[in-house]
Amino acid sequence: MLRVSAQTTGTEIDILAVNGDLDAAGRGIEFGPELMGFAESVATRSEADLKLARNQLLIAAGESVLVDAAGVAANFQRMVRIADSMGIPIDNMETEVGIEVRQALALSRFASAQNTVSG
Amino acid sequence: MSHFNYTDSPYSIREDIREAHRFFWSRLGAPGCWWNGAQRLAIAAEVRLATNCTFCAERKSALSPYTLAGEHDHGSGLSPAAIDAVHRIVTDQDRITQSYVDRNVDQGLSKEAYVELAGVVVSLFSIDEFHRALGLALEPLPQPSSGKASLYRPSQAVSGTGFVPMLPPDGATGSEADLWPNGRTANVLRALSLVPDALRDWMKLSSAQYLSMQGMANFDRQEGRAINRMQMELIAGRVSSVNECFY
Repeated sequence: MLRVSAQTTGTEIDILAVNGDLDAAGRGIEFGPELMGFAESVATRSEADLKLARNQLLIAAGESVLVDAAGVAANFQRMVRIADSMGIPIDNMETEVGIEVRQALALSRFASAQNTVSG
Repeated sequence: MSHFNYTDSPYSIREDIREAHRFFWSRLGAPGCWWNGAQRLAIAAEVRLATNCTFCAERKSALSPYTLAGEHDHGSGLSPAAIDAVHRIVTDQDRITQSYVDRNVDQGLSKEAYVELAGVVVSLFSIDEFHRALGLALEPLPQPSSGKASLYRPSQAVSGTGFVPMLPPDGATGSEADLWPNGRTANVLRALSLVPDALRDWMKLSSAQYLSMQGMANFDRQEGRAINRMQMELIAGRVSSVNECFY
């Protein structure tokens, strides 16, 4: 969806931000490095990292951005657990953008890839 | 008691987020389709134990998540199979398999009950994660209300996608006509549809924490949001990647 939203708005981004590349996160996305760091610290559940990342995002982008970012991060902490606990496969493995993103991010290394590959 | 006042929050919390959280809390302690109110609250309490469970931490680092023996830090009257399902969904969800879900049926955790349990787990967990992300205290759980589980199962649910039966893409009909009213769906929408209220719960939460179904079709800035779609998807992508989610 990051790739699609960038294409829709004609923005040059680097998809490797999703894998935690700090330089990539800064390309084309306002507050990208701070948002990426915050998302990562929510998902890894390191309280020390989270406190630091929260403060960095707050200082850089302000309170409203922090609250909205917390909402999205919390939402996807849920969505990944729905997808994996129900074992759903990807809807369409043939889309060009999907193939490109999965290859660029090497997503087949994840255990849950078998829900699609073997399904 | 009025929930989600956010009086301890140093940040202003959007009203739609407060409302969505309150809505789920009103559903959490009420009877569902396969669990009564007290059981749904027991599932919720178990979610909070799972995040600090010693056995879960050991199992997460084990090569295989199905060979290690041990006991979860638990405090509910749920069955061992239900307790383990809660803990796995919270701490090791990417290694859940079809065999595991099938074996749970033999231990008394039906696929219908598993889907509702998962719905409670993920919704409670995401509300707690919102609080944790902002450094806020977790909301006290609501009181249970009396009544029995309805045992409602949509007749159009079929097996064939994922680990549990789901409504087929053309199955949003009758009492389920509201689930994907424009006729377009995706596997992630269908995932919890064996228990339609579980899907309704996550759609309501998702509309506030992320985007509504209509909003997902808009790839630019959303009204009422401080971040644009690319910023949202960067967060979504990074969270999914850390969780090793292929979908």
